[in-house]
Amino acid sequence: MRPRIGFLDHVLGALLGAAYVAVLLGTSGDLAMSRDESFYVTAAQDYAGWMRQLWNDPDAALTTESIDRGWDYNHEHPGLAKALFGLSWIAHENAKADGGDGLFARDSDAFRFPGMVCAGLLLWLLYIFGARVFGREAGAYAAVAYALMPRPFYHAHLDCFDIPITLVITFAVYAYWRALTSRAWVVVAGLAWGLALATKHNSWVLPGIFLVHYVWMTWAVRGRLRREEPVPARLITRPWWMISLAWLGPPLFVATWPWLWHPETMLERFGWYARFHLNHEYYTIAYLGRSWFEPPFPVSYPFVLTAFTVPLVTLVMAGLGLGMRLRAMLPRFVRQRVWKGGKVEPDAAHTDVLLVGCLLAPMLMIALPSSPIFGGTKHWFTAYPFLCLYTGLGLVRATGAFRHGLGAQLPGARWTARVVGATLAIAPMLVQTVRSHPFGLSHYTPLAGGVPGAADLGMNRQFWGFTTGSLTRYFAEQMPNGGSVYLCDTTPGAWEMLHRDGALPRNVRWSASLTNADFVMVHHEDHFAEVDFQAWVAFGSTKPAHVLTYDGVPIVTVYENPRRRR
Amino acid sequence: MLLALVTLYELLAQGVIDARVPAHRDWSAASRHIREHHRDGDLIVSAPAWTDPLLRRELGDLLPAAQAGRSDLAPFARVWEISARGRRAADLVAVREAREPDETSTFGALTVRRFDLGPSSVAFDLTSNLRDAQVRRGDRTCTWRRSTAQGGGLGTGPLTPAEHFFCGPEPWLWVGETVTEDLDLQPRHCIWQHPAGTEPITTTYRNVALPGRVVLHGGIYYLHERERIHGPVDVRVLVEGREVGRMRHEDGDGWRRMEADTGTGTGDVTIEVTAPDANMRTFCWAADLRGPAREVGE
Repeated sequence: MRPRIGFLDHVLGALLGAAYVAVLLGTSGDLAMSRDESFYVTAAQDYAGWMRQLWNDPDAALTTESIDRGWDYNHEHPGLAKALFGLSWIAHENAKADGGDGLFARDSDAFRFPGMVCAGLLLWLLYIFGARVFGREAGAYAAVAYALMPRPFYHAHLDCFDIPITLVITFAVYAYWRALTSRAWVVVAGLAWGLALATKHNSWVLPGIFLVHYVWMTWAVRGRLRREEPVPARLITRPWWMISLAWLGPPLFVATWPWLWHPETMLERFGWYARFHLNHEYYTIAYLGRSWFEPPFPVSYPFVLTAFTVPLVTLVMAGLGLGMRLRAMLPRFVRQRVWKGGKVEPDAAHTDVLLVGCLLAPMLMIALPSSPIFGGTKHWFTAYPFLCLYTGLGLVRATGAFRHGLGAQLPGARWTARVVGATLAIAPMLVQTVRSHPFGLSHYTPLAGGVPGAADLGMNRQFWGFTTGSLTRYFAEQMPNGGSVYLCDTTPGAWEMLHRDGALPRNVRWSASLTNADFVMVHHEDHFAEVDFQAWVAFGSTKPAHVLTYDGVPIVTVYENPRRRR
Repeated sequence: MLLALVTLYELLAQGVIDARVPAHRDWSAASRHIREHHRDGDLIVSAPAWTDPLLRRELGDLLPAAQAGRSDLAPFARVWEISARGRRAADLVAVREAREPDETSTFGALTVRRFDLGPSSVAFDLTSNLRDAQVRRGDRTCTWRRSTAQGGGLGTGPLTPAEHFFCGPEPWLWVGETVTEDLDLQPRHCIWQHPAGTEPITTTYRNVALPGRVVLHGGIYYLHERERIHGPVDVRVLVEGREVGRMRHEDGDGWRRMEADTGTGTGDVTIEVTAPDANMRTFCWAADLRGPAREVGE
């Protein structure tokens, strides 16, 4: 029996989400902006400028020239998320204009805040989704398990699309699932897919997943009807969702992206956008001792990386949860033949098939040998909420078994067993997540041997150059009278944000020239080794001035120009 | 029970991982020991390979680019190995198979081993003595330049050193001592000698003592070799104008070795580089003149 979800459930979900946003805001100052974030800051500022113009002079803003000026930058991605970053920045700036310090402690937080809110909303949604499918306890565990995944925790800080798209895809799946029993949610499903389209191209595959599930479900319903078994009256088997997605999704996508508003160029520009992602260039990334830069890429990549970066307790409990529901995922004729005595039956909507489809599809997409793998785990983040739903279910079973077994021996067993069980479940996730900060993309779980074990295995150590944030104090101390730094993988925009945030003195500038810089950074990715070697030749020495390490593993090496000592 | 086991494993394993991380004081102590006993001609390596920046942080002043970017062990009389996590240096495999270390010491989570290889067989290092050579593009002499080092950045290839021969007019037609990134992403201390098509670029060392062999390694900058779409590079070694060895380097060969007999006595040694198509042929070589090979470590 599924619980009736009410107001208090939403209060609990909202509190969980708000607490997470508070943690993200409290820890974001440790993270320098990543490469991609810095591009989205530029885009957000452009879009914000256009939105201001729209507010002040709509006629001028809606001219072709104004729209192109405002929205042309970074048209590789739709506008919605960047527009939200821009709106947040406008609010921050307006608060400054009123004589205050702004809404946020740092400018970077103004851009990052919408992404953090998306992370908070995702926890709320996961709690509600999990509670509706597997019960309240499972929903709560699912939300906590997601919050305490080290890589998503890092990405949840950023003004990027990976967490927003995870939120809107999960919401679209939830809306589709609700639409199978509620006509009102049919409309929401279409709108949700529109938001997903407007956020990132991961959303393109969603109708395909829904279609597979829908065919499975209707086929099973027909079988029931043939056998004259009851089918719940509220189950909607007509494909209204499909019409909703088709009618509401694309218009919302276009409506939120002014770059596509000109009828004459709309198709051409959409074609460019689609081709950009269908023929995306390959960037080099290390995996199991090899630097991969062209297809065929290893099929094992998303599975091994998931195993190496998600806390083991999350994975094992997801396995337990999936095992508990496995029978419900099988077609009837298979259940009848190979698992006759089982008690677990699918619900009329075949929810498990939908959830497992959403869990597997993103990983299978990346497992295709032709799919670029340079983004690490973030490209299949949309799978993790569904993994966590089963983690929640598994944890309910495991903590329940603990409460009724060992836990029953504890004094005050009714409550202590519950607390100890939850602590056992959450402690390893919490430890891994706390340890991962502020080196999120460099973090690997004990299954990989931790950070040193992953280095032994030749795994990617980082990307995007965000670890520069851990060196600001060093540079400020070394250059009290100012100086320059060659940035390696950090962008000038990300460096500028360190100035804006007050994390780095203005007189510590970035240098485009490696040979003329006072200091040279080398972010350790295998194929960046040439920058190390260039520094040796430029400065006549292989001796670094400083090595930033994480669990003993070099993350950034810093060289000092010998002219500073002359 | 399952939950407790998984939790216990994850927490304990993290503890074990932390305990095996060498502390800064371990690196300092190991380095102090090596520094006290270091001699000219010693090489210092560390394992696993990713600890290399930590090794150079401690002992980089004893590890010039010529050593960090070595092609093999022949120039060194002794090798120090700093080992973390029980790992062993990849380029000492043959040495370890042949002999036990001559010294082993432990400093916290680090183990230091010393292997005495015996006197080096290298009599003259062509790579480090470029200044004394004569460089020509066809019949024209390339001029020695001294300016500031130029270049740098991901995807830009080896840095142009402050001092080099300039053949031009194309900016990449220079010959100089640099460090390239080979196909395995390893540093190689070498002489950049980009071919100018079929017109030879030659580097000639006048009147050098010939102990019997020349050993040359060569390769192309990682980014230009990894796609394996470009043409070959031809290298010839000449003694007194007579070819004694040649190597055709094809994409995919990586840091390739060539050995040739030079005979003994004295003479002019020339390294000549050509390519049917010089596009992206960012070739770099390292060579030395050697006597008879020693038993271990070459």
